[in-house]
Amino acid sequence: MEAATAARPRRRRRAFLEERRFLAPVLIAPACLFIAVLIAGPLLLAVYLSFSDATAGSLTGDWVGFDNYLNAWDNPVFRKALWNTVLFTVASQVIVLIAAGLLAHALIRPFRGKWILRFLILLPWAAPIPLGAVAWLWIYDSLFSVVNWTLVHDILPGGGELLPYKIVNAITPWTIEPFDPPQWLGDPTLALGAVISVHAWRVIPFATVIFLAGLASIPKEVDDAAKVDGATGLKKFWYVTLPLQLPIATVALLFGIVFTAADMTVVYILTRGGPFNSTQMLTTWSYQTGINAGSLGEGAAISLYLLPVLAAVAILMLRFARRSEVS
Amino acid sequence: MASTSLREKLGSYLVVGPFAIVLAFPFYWMLWTAFKTDGDLYNVENIPFSFTQGSPTSRNFTFLFTDTQYLDWLENTAFVGAIVVVITLVFSLPAGYALARLSGGWGQSVGVGIFLTYLVPPTLLFLPLSRVISELGLQDKLTSLILVYPSFTVPFSTWLLMGFFKTIPRELEDAARVDGASRLTTLLRVVFPISLPGILTVVIFSFSLVVNEFVYSLTFISTSSEKTISTGVFTELIRGDVFFWQGLMAATLIPSIPLALLYNVFLNRFIAGFTGGAFR
Amino acid sequence: MTDDRPRVDITKISDELTRRELLRKAATGAIVLVYGSVGARSAVAGVPRFRHKELKETLRILQWSHFVPAFDRWFDNTYVKVWGRKNDTEVIVDHISQAELSARVAAEAAAQSGHDMVATLAPLPQYEDQVINHKEIVETVSKKRGKMKSVAYRSTYNPKTKKYFGFPDNYAPDPINYRTDFWGEVGLKPTTWDNVLKAAPRLRSMGHPIGIGMSNEIDSNMALMSLMMCFGGFIQNQKHKVALNSKGTRRALTFARELFRRGMSNEIFAWTASSNNVGMTSGRLSLAMNAISITRTAEGQNPDLAKKISLLPIPKGPNGRLGLEHVMHTYMVWKFARNKKGATKFLADLELTYIGAFENSRFYNFPSFPTTVTNIDRRLERDPVAIPKGKYKVLKTISDKYTYNVGYPGFTNAAIGEIFDTYLIPQMFAEVARGDKSPADAARDYHRRFETIYAKWRRRGKI
Repeated sequence: MEAATAARPRRRRRAFLEERRFLAPVLIAPACLFIAVLIAGPLLLAVYLSFSDATAGSLTGDWVGFDNYLNAWDNPVFRKALWNTVLFTVASQVIVLIAAGLLAHALIRPFRGKWILRFLILLPWAAPIPLGAVAWLWIYDSLFSVVNWTLVHDILPGGGELLPYKIVNAITPWTIEPFDPPQWLGDPTLALGAVISVHAWRVIPFATVIFLAGLASIPKEVDDAAKVDGATGLKKFWYVTLPLQLPIATVALLFGIVFTAADMTVVYILTRGGPFNSTQMLTTWSYQTGINAGSLGEGAAISLYLLPVLAAVAILMLRFARRSEVS
Repeated sequence: MASTSLREKLGSYLVVGPFAIVLAFPFYWMLWTAFKTDGDLYNVENIPFSFTQGSPTSRNFTFLFTDTQYLDWLENTAFVGAIVVVITLVFSLPAGYALARLSGGWGQSVGVGIFLTYLVPPTLLFLPLSRVISELGLQDKLTSLILVYPSFTVPFSTWLLMGFFKTIPRELEDAARVDGASRLTTLLRVVFPISLPGILTVVIFSFSLVVNEFVYSLTFISTSSEKTISTGVFTELIRGDVFFWQGLMAATLIPSIPLALLYNVFLNRFIAGFTGGAFR
Repeated sequence: MTDDRPRVDITKISDELTRRELLRKAATGAIVLVYGSVGARSAVAGVPRFRHKELKETLRILQWSHFVPAFDRWFDNTYVKVWGRKNDTEVIVDHISQAELSARVAAEAAAQSGHDMVATLAPLPQYEDQVINHKEIVETVSKKRGKMKSVAYRSTYNPKTKKYFGFPDNYAPDPINYRTDFWGEVGLKPTTWDNVLKAAPRLRSMGHPIGIGMSNEIDSNMALMSLMMCFGGFIQNQKHKVALNSKGTRRALTFARELFRRGMSNEIFAWTASSNNVGMTSGRLSLAMNAISITRTAEGQNPDLAKKISLLPIPKGPNGRLGLEHVMHTYMVWKFARNKKGATKFLADLELTYIGAFENSRFYNFPSFPTTVTNIDRRLERDPVAIPKGKYKVLKTISDKYTYNVGYPGFTNAAIGEIFDTYLIPQMFAEVARGDKSPADAARDYHRRFETIYAKWRRRGKI
C-alpha cells in the first residue's frame, strides 16, 4: 500500500520533467538568470549613463537626452572611428576567411609533420591577446622593428646579396627608403595595415579550428557519394563542400567579427588610437572619451553605437546560417 | 582513411607551410628577444637574429620567477580558467540542449537573444560591474572574476552548443526513448557523452576567452598576488616609460607554448570525435 | 528516413563513451583539484589582510610602478612598514602600470570603494567631487616647512571651488638630454631653440636626428606644450579662457614643422613613452626631452654612453625659457575612503620627511615643499654614479626657475586635464608637421575644439 502511494508522487515528478514545456525552461533558466543579472543590469545602467552627463566615474548625472549621441556624431574623430571599426573588421575577416578556408582543407588530410605545423598555427590563439599585442608593438617598433631590419638588410647567408626592400620597390608601387624605413605604427595608412594584420593574425587559428570542425563533420557518406558521382577537386568544393561548410563558415565569420569589432586591446596597445586618432575604433574612442577624458556619458553613448550594428549583423548572419543549414 | 596522394600532400605542405611560418614568426622573434641582454638588444648595429655581447642569457626568464609574482599570476589565471570552464559547462550544456531540442520556434529566438548579449563589450560594462563587485565585497578577490567571466563565456558556449546539438540526429535520442529511458536519462546517458567534441570545443574556447580577458581583471583586482598574467605583467614590466622588452617577451612565451600544445592535443580528440564516433 | 540511415547501436556507444567520459571527468577533476587547493583559499578569503592582528588600522594605497624598481622596494618594504608601526596601522601598497591607472581610478569611483588613496602621475581635476579637500594636509606641512612651490600649487588647487583636489607630494623636473659628442661636432649647444633648428639638419645627416615626439603619449604632451610656451603660445590665459589661437602658437607650430622637416624622422609619430628613452640609450637620438629616466637607464646599461649624455634646461625661445614638470605626482584621498585620517597623516608625514623618497628615487622625485629636503644642491652634486660628476645639479636650476604647471599661466583644471589626457596638443603639432594643416588653420581649429571642452566643464561649475 505504502509502496504504491510512494510511487505516485515520483511518477508525477517524472511526468513533470517529461513535459517539454517544463523541462526546457528549467534547463534554460539558470543561464538566462545569470546573464540577466550580470549583463542586462549593467547594460541598462550604461544606457542610462549615455543619456546623462555623468563624469569621472560617477554613476549618476543630469539628464541630457540624446545630446551625447548627437554630439558624438559631430566629432570627426568619431566618424573616423566608426569607419575604422568597419574597415578593420571587414579587411581582417576577409583575410581570415581565405586563410582559414585554405588551412582547414590542407589540414584535414594526414601528412607528416602535421602535428608540428598545426601547433605553430595555433600559437597566436594561445597567446593572451594583451601580451601578444605587446609582442607586435615590439615587432613594429619605431626603431628596432625586425620587419624593417629584414627589409633593409641582406638576408642571404654567406656571399651574394638579397635585399628585400629592393624587391618590394621593384614589384610594388611603394618605395622603401633604407635609411628611413616605414613607420608601421606612425604613418596613418601603415598603422591601419598594422592593426588589421594583428587582428587577422589573432583570429586565423580560431577560425581554422572551426572550419576544421565543420569539414570533419561532413559525414563520410556524402564524401563517398560525391566520389561516386565523379565530383572531385574544384567541382566537389563548389557543389558539395562549400554548401555544407556555409553554416559553419558563417559562425566562424560571426565570431571573428565580434572579436575584432568589439575589441579594444589591440588598438589600445599598438597605437592608442594614434597617430593623431587615425586608428581609433569605437571601443577605443569610447574609452578615451569616457575614461581618459572623464566624460562618462559621452563615452557610453559612443560605445552604444556599436551595439545595434553588431546585433543587426549577428541576426542577419545567424538567419543566413540557419537557412543554409536546413537546405 | 584513404591514403592521400602525393599531389594532395604537396598541396598541403605548400599551403600550411607559409601560413605556419607567418603565424608563428612573432614567437620566433620573441624567443630571440627573450634571450638577449640589454647591450645586445638595444643596439641598432647588431643583427637581431644573432647573439653577441653577453647573450644568450636566461636572466630574463628567471627574473620573472624570482623578482615578480609571475608564478602567482599563472596560477591565478589557470585557476580562474578552470573554474569558469566548469561553471560555463554547467550553465550552457542544459541551456544549449533545451534550446536545440525542446523549445520549438521560440528556441531559436531565445538562442539568438542569448548570443546577442555576448556582443556587449566589457568596456561598456566594467564600470557598472565594478559597483556590483564592490557591493558584494569581492574587490581584489579572484571570486569576482569567477563570478563575472561566465557572463561572456556562457552566451558564447550556449550558442555554440545549441548549434552543435542540432547536428546530432534525433534518431539517437528517439532510439533511447523507445527503449524506455526518460528524457532526463537520455540527456545524461546518451546525448552528453556523444557531444564530447562539442564539450571539448566549449572547454577550449571558454578557457581561451578567460585567458585573453583584460579589462575586468584590471578593474576588479589590484593586489599584486591576485592578478592574472595580463595585468600582472603590465604592472611589473612596464614601469612608466621603461619597457622591459625581454621580460615581456619571456612572459608571453611561457603561457603560450603549453596552451598551444594543449589545444593541439585537444584538437585531435575533438576532430576524432567528429569523424569517428557514432557514425559507423 | 530512419530506414536508410545506419542503425545506431546504443550499447556500443555507451561502452565506448563511458571510458572517454571517465577520462574527461578525471582530467577536469584533477585540474580543478590541483588549482583549487592553491587558489580556493585566497579566492574566497581574499588576500590575508589581517595578518598582524595587533595593528589597529589599515591603510590602502594604489600607485604606479616606479621606473626605479629600488624605489618601490624601499617604499613598500621599509618606509610604509616603519610608518605603519609608529601609527599602529597596516599599510598595504598596490601597484599598477601607468596605462591602466585611469581605468582603475574610474572603476573605484564608480564602485565607491577601493583604496583609501590613489597616486597618479598627473593631477586628475575631473575627480574633484569624489575626493576630499586636501587643504588640511597642505596646511599641516606648510606650518612646519613653508609654502609649497607655485607649480605644485597651481596644479592641484581649484580657485573656483577653493579646493585642493589632490596632494602633490613630488614632481619631476624636465631637462633636455643631449649628446655632447654629436653637438660638439656641430659646434653648437642646444641652449636656444634657434640653435636646435640650426644644428638639426647636420645632426640628422649624421644619422642622429632630434627626438621630440608628436604622438599620443605623455612625453610628447610635455615637450610640445613647453615648446609652445617658449614661443608664447598658451592653451589658456590667467582667467582660464582659451587662448590657443595666437601668434605665439602659430610661431611654435611653424617652428615645429621646420624642425621636423629638417631634423627629425617619421618615427616620432609612432612613439610610446619609452621610445625617446630607447632612442637615446641606443645611441641614435642627439636630443630628447625627458626626465632623468634616460640617464639613469644609460648608467645601468651603457656607462660609456651615459658619459656622453648631458642635461640642460629647456632651450630658450622668443618668449623665454618656460618648461613643464615631467610628472606631477599627486595623491588623491577618496571621499569614500575608510581611513581618511590615516591617509592624511600618512601624506603629511611623507612630505615632511621627504629625504628618503628623494634619495631612493635617485632624484626623480623632487619634493613639492622644497624645504623638506635639505641641501638639495649638495645631494645632487654628490651622486655617485653621475658622469661627469655634478651632472644632476642642473635639475635644481630647472626646478627653481623653469618649471611651470600644465595650464600656465592659469591653474590646472578639468578642461586642461581633458586636453592633456586626449593628447590634443601632440595631434595638433603632428597635423601641422605632416603638412595636413597650416599653422593658422590648426591653431584656429583646435582653439574652437578647446572652447567646446571648456564650455562643458564651465557648465559643470568647475572652472
